[in-house]
Amino acid sequence: MKICIINGPNLNLLGTREPEIYGSETLQEIGDRCRALGAEHGLDVEFLQSNFEGQIVEWIQEAIGTANAIVINAAAYTHTSVAIYDALKSYHGYKIELHISNPHTRESFRHVSYVSPVVDAVVAGFGVNGYTHVVELLAEILKENYP
Amino acid sequence: MTNKTILVLNGPGLADLSAGGSQTGDLTLGQIEDECSALCEQLGLKLDFRQTEDEEEMFRWIGKDSENFGGLIINPVGSLKGDSVDFDRYRSAIGMVAHLKKPVVEVHTANIFREGSGVTKPLQASEGEMGFICGLGLRSYLLAIRAIAKRLQD
Repeated sequence: MKICIINGPNLNLLGTREPEIYGSETLQEIGDRCRALGAEHGLDVEFLQSNFEGQIVEWIQEAIGTANAIVINAAAYTHTSVAIYDALKSYHGYKIELHISNPHTRESFRHVSYVSPVVDAVVAGFGVNGYTHVVELLAEILKENYP
Repeated sequence: MTNKTILVLNGPGLADLSAGGSQTGDLTLGQIEDECSALCEQLGLKLDFRQTEDEEEMFRWIGKDSENFGGLIINPVGSLKGDSVDFDRYRSAIGMVAHLKKPVVEVHTANIFREGSGVTKPLQASEGEMGFICGLGLRSYLLAIRAIAKRLQD
């Protein structure tokens, strides 16, 4: 069982950029936590980050037929990317949109998501703990669907 | 000492989940309450689970009982679908809880942003210390409880 966690632009700066919003843990540390937690549940966790929209599209395409679920934190591309919207539409495994903060409580240009209409679920606003929450959640959901 | 009671408020229209469309399947509010109750017990939390058809009553509960809960989970779906939604009341009720530094999570069983759902922008009203979960059915509530438990622990 494999899940693919895809992180978008600027998330590589996590821990240094606006820590009052995003926390002080680095993306590397979060990835390590997710992989360790996944392993406890028999899940292979692939944890990826790119600042490039096209790379994110390619990772979503690569997940087709190889990953049981995608977790996507498309960061700023959430609010702009029709390409990511289209790619997610072509992926038919379980899809969760994740955000560290709650975009809906921030600037109005973050209030529209091109990701939300094409995923199964949205989880936002729980800080970096959101990552481990969704890994545990997917462990449960995948166990139920593929016992 | 941390208040370990979680108040779960379900707004207008949620007494009958099946009326909300097919995304929630056979799930009933009673089942959600039972599962929430079991999880809270497991986590050492107390659960206060309510539903009302009256939006005003929902806001009154938040104000009146804010001393009595450590965290709030709210599913306001019915009121968000209405024509006469009082977003200002919703905003100020949630803002008041956030001001008290208590965690608030808005939950929906269905993905309200799904194409064709007819609900496109309910959350712009949500302010403050606000987590958001939709689309996980019963698990939307359970994840909210786990997230609040973690928050109260940290």
